[in-house]
Amino acid sequence: MVNSLTTLAYTPFIDALAVHEYWYLLIVPMSIFLAIGYKAIRCTHLKDYPREVTVFTVQVLGGLLLLAIAFTVVITLIIPMLAPMPS
Amino acid sequence: MCAGDISQRRFHYLIGPAINKVSSDARTVPRKFQVSIKSATSSSRFFVPPGFSGGLPVHFVHMTTPPQTQFNPLAGLAAAIFPGAGHLVLGRPKRAILACVGVMGLFLFGLLIGGINTIDSSQPYPSKIWFLGESLVGVPTLVVDQINQRSFKAYDLDSGALRNGYPNEHRVVENSRPVWKPLTQPQMDQGMGPPMVPALGRLHEIAMLSVVLGGMLNLIVFLDALMPSPERVLNKSKSKAGGA
Repeated sequence: MVNSLTTLAYTPFIDALAVHEYWYLLIVPMSIFLAIGYKAIRCTHLKDYPREVTVFTVQVLGGLLLLAIAFTVVITLIIPMLAPMPS
Repeated sequence: MCAGDISQRRFHYLIGPAINKVSSDARTVPRKFQVSIKSATSSSRFFVPPGFSGGLPVHFVHMTTPPQTQFNPLAGLAAAIFPGAGHLVLGRPKRAILACVGVMGLFLFGLLIGGINTIDSSQPYPSKIWFLGESLVGVPTLVVDQINQRSFKAYDLDSGALRNGYPNEHRVVENSRPVWKPLTQPQMDQGMGPPMVPALGRLHEIAMLSVVLGGMLNLIVFLDALMPSPERVLNKSKSKAGGA
């Protein structure tokens, strides 16, 4: 039974990882794992599996990148033009 | 036009362009021009016109004969217990391993980012929706949640609520009941504290998102094991050279 432990030591899968500054990079392994699992059941022939996983991962990451660009344009350019705020 | 209980419309689709040559009564058609089609629910004989060389085209047979493995409750049960086990029951070990890597990869990646507190069934209602999505992973989520509740949470001395510890508390078992006790300054200087460091804010959300994605992916894997699509079953024989 765990009673009291020191907080100095990092324990994987128990303590949170200190990656606050790189949170946006976490989407890459998530997309890869998602593609691996999804294409495992949706891929017709397993000989095409690596290519389909790669294409799916690139599609997900590309879609998210386009969404990020679109939101950046809306928030930093369009909304300030429509409703300018006093500086 | 046809014998058995197959509908007129379906029979038209079976025969296709040769429909003009079909007799209006199957009973008048010689037996040698009939073909037997058996399915899970019916067994019927159809007339095949003399000009229809080679019997029924392959894709007609695919449309009219349901595959034997259309519904597999044993595979569904296995898939509900552990990700990928359903496809192992179906005899597709490669797909089982790959599906397991995908689902458990998302699950473990979420735990790696946010720690064990990513899976917490004792959250209040709005946050509990996340746990419902996480529980779609199956037994691994329930096991990790039990470990979290039994070994890393304790009761508040004032309110009696089960919660995580604060940095100035440590977990003590009193009368077989875990409670949070405040730490003294010398104890804090020694580095004592709660048994885990939970993720906060954005990292906690990303960690939960990863586990929920694993759960939703496992739902697709479960449905594919429970009810494998006919195309996939038919392609299995074709893709023997290419893999399972």
